[in-house]
Amino acid sequence: MKKLGRLCLVSAFLCLVVPLLAFAGSTKDITVSAAISLKNAFEEIGRLYESRYGTKCVFNFGASGDLMKQIAGGAPVDVFASAAQKDMDELGRQGLIVTATRADFAANSVVLIVPAGAKTSLKSFEGLSAVEIKKIAIGNPKTVPAGRYAEEVFSSYQILPFIKTKFIYTENVRQVLDYVARGEVDAGVVYATDAATRSKEIKILSTAPEASHKPVVYPIAVVKETKSEADAKAFISLVLSQDGKKILQKHGFKFNK
Amino acid sequence: MGLQVRLQKKVKGFALDIEWQISNELAVLFGFSGAGKSMTLQLIAGLIKPDKGQVSLDDIVYFDSSIGTNIPPQERPFGYVFQDLALFPHMTVLQNILYGAANLPNNEKLNRAHEMIRAFKLTGLEDRYSHEISGGQKQRVAFARALIRQPRMLLLDEPFSALDRPLRLEMRRFLREVRDNFSIPALLVTHDFEEAVAISDKIIVYEHGKIAQIDSPEKVKGNPANIYVSQLVACDDCEGIYEIAQQANPADAEKLRR
Amino acid sequence: MEGSVLFSLRLSLQVASVSTALIMLTGIPLAYVLARRDFRGKELLDVLCTLPLVLPPTVTGYYLIVLFGRNGFIGRLIYAWTGWSIMFTWYAAVLASYIVALPLMIKTTRAALESVDKNLIKASYTLGHSDFETALKVILPLAKRGIVAGTVLSFARAMGEFGATLMLAGNLPGRTDTMPIAIYSLAGGGEWSKAHFMVVLMTAMSGVFLYIANKYTKRII
Repeated sequence: MKKLGRLCLVSAFLCLVVPLLAFAGSTKDITVSAAISLKNAFEEIGRLYESRYGTKCVFNFGASGDLMKQIAGGAPVDVFASAAQKDMDELGRQGLIVTATRADFAANSVVLIVPAGAKTSLKSFEGLSAVEIKKIAIGNPKTVPAGRYAEEVFSSYQILPFIKTKFIYTENVRQVLDYVARGEVDAGVVYATDAATRSKEIKILSTAPEASHKPVVYPIAVVKETKSEADAKAFISLVLSQDGKKILQKHGFKFNK
Repeated sequence: MGLQVRLQKKVKGFALDIEWQISNELAVLFGFSGAGKSMTLQLIAGLIKPDKGQVSLDDIVYFDSSIGTNIPPQERPFGYVFQDLALFPHMTVLQNILYGAANLPNNEKLNRAHEMIRAFKLTGLEDRYSHEISGGQKQRVAFARALIRQPRMLLLDEPFSALDRPLRLEMRRFLREVRDNFSIPALLVTHDFEEAVAISDKIIVYEHGKIAQIDSPEKVKGNPANIYVSQLVACDDCEGIYEIAQQANPADAEKLRR
Repeated sequence: MEGSVLFSLRLSLQVASVSTALIMLTGIPLAYVLARRDFRGKELLDVLCTLPLVLPPTVTGYYLIVLFGRNGFIGRLIYAWTGWSIMFTWYAAVLASYIVALPLMIKTTRAALESVDKNLIKASYTLGHSDFETALKVILPLAKRGIVAGTVLSFARAMGEFGATLMLAGNLPGRTDTMPIAIYSLAGGGEWSKAHFMVVLMTAMSGVFLYIANKYTKRII
């Protein structure tokens, strides 16, 4: 009983004292919610932004759908960079973004990958209908944009009905990457930028032609409830500038004219 | 004076409806298990609320459904000894006894507790836990704990049923002694007729939630009120016979029970 | 250890400690009420408290945003009153961990409280002790192992909380990236070696907590 009492006391103490140790948020900074696939590129742009404008840039990386829900719920976000038009459209409908600031800043391509050491005769998307290919990992088309793009590509090659039974659906693109890297599946479909992060473990077989799927473009916009609109706009300008493009390009992103 | 009870209580498939009184004596509640004996004790102590009726001890009313009186168990002056004794396993002998002294002034508690320990021959066991002492010692701790708060009546729910025969005989003598020393009414629940006869001043026989007979042990033994009581009295181990009968033929067993 | 790893470790411990403290302060009385009292809507309350255990954490997180976000039912009032929102602060991580780990405390403690011998409670009453004294001196001490096990489990769960935290507290490096969130973030950026180190660290720590919890639960059963 004494011990329990002591435990309670310690807990009460923690309750009172620990919040005092909390770090105060700095006064002048902006928060950028960005799709996690943009992490490396945006962190680099963020450093450039801080050195150029002296404003601290705080990132919040996550799945575009979750980031959208956070903003809809009133999260203190200044800039939103999404991996899918759908989520940006949704915020636009709710009037939560400054429409004039919306712009597409990068594009990605869709690639077919296999495990690095795989001894396979697979050469291209068409080959997926071969009997030796048993399992293909793609994102769940209902929730993962990359999965939708994958299905579009398969449709354009007219192989979708023949390979549908081979699909292993995942809840995000990284899971596809992981299955392929571990050799759990024979092949998978991901973005080129994702494939680049694990280039040692996987092999890119083929890049889907641009005409085979809707363009994969990343939209960015200022969030309506921002308290530092000028800083937020400056960040977007930097992303769209030549310097920003150079960084994005370095990380595998492309640009649509 | 003494304890007067009139109680009605319905629970699933069972109805208790009894009225009796006892004076400053040792009375026994006797009957098959399931007859409502333990329930009666809990109703008296206030651990269960009766549907209707009255409980009063020495003319003080503790429960009366007609005027809405229902004194909580904490404030009723009964010392209760449970069938399994209900010693607190996380407390020592001394702590168990002290826990019963809640109503005494702080400076008296310890002295009284040590008095009880001496009186109940528990000296040297003060710091033992209940799993570290013998069955007879546990009994004495349970009695000491129930008596330290100076209750005005004792309620005993088959406290000896788990003991072997020699110890049971010893505890009967002990109970008789304690009852006479403290000179308060005591009500002992048992389904052992031999025990009831050996120990009691008065026997209250229960039959399925009703009273079958209230008399001195001699009269119950020599002049049973009905066939049910005579069956109860006739066999040494009625419970055993009932159970055997029930296994062989439930319908017959029910006849035996009625 | 690198600064960011150290920060995440400290933040995780801080969030788990504070939420576990809150869980003890509220979970034990709640479990007691559920175990010992009868009232209308009791099972509904139990279901409500247990729901975060079975809901996908992101769904719990979504509910938390709907309730506590700046545009949320409660969050709106707080924002109007103080100009402050819990979202994207470490308090949000505490709130998320609290909600997700509370069921473990309530379930374990309720079971432990209910397993206390009813006769001991009755004995305490007949010895003149009130409900409160009985709870403090008989019921809680006898349920102690269950309560300690529940506390350790809650702490471990709070340490590992990810989904709801990611929704409500976000993934702000150096601010709200607890260990699980940092791991997610590192994996997302392809920094596998750092991620692997944190995965091993988390696994080892959680293993120790569960070992302690097991030691205690085994003894109450």
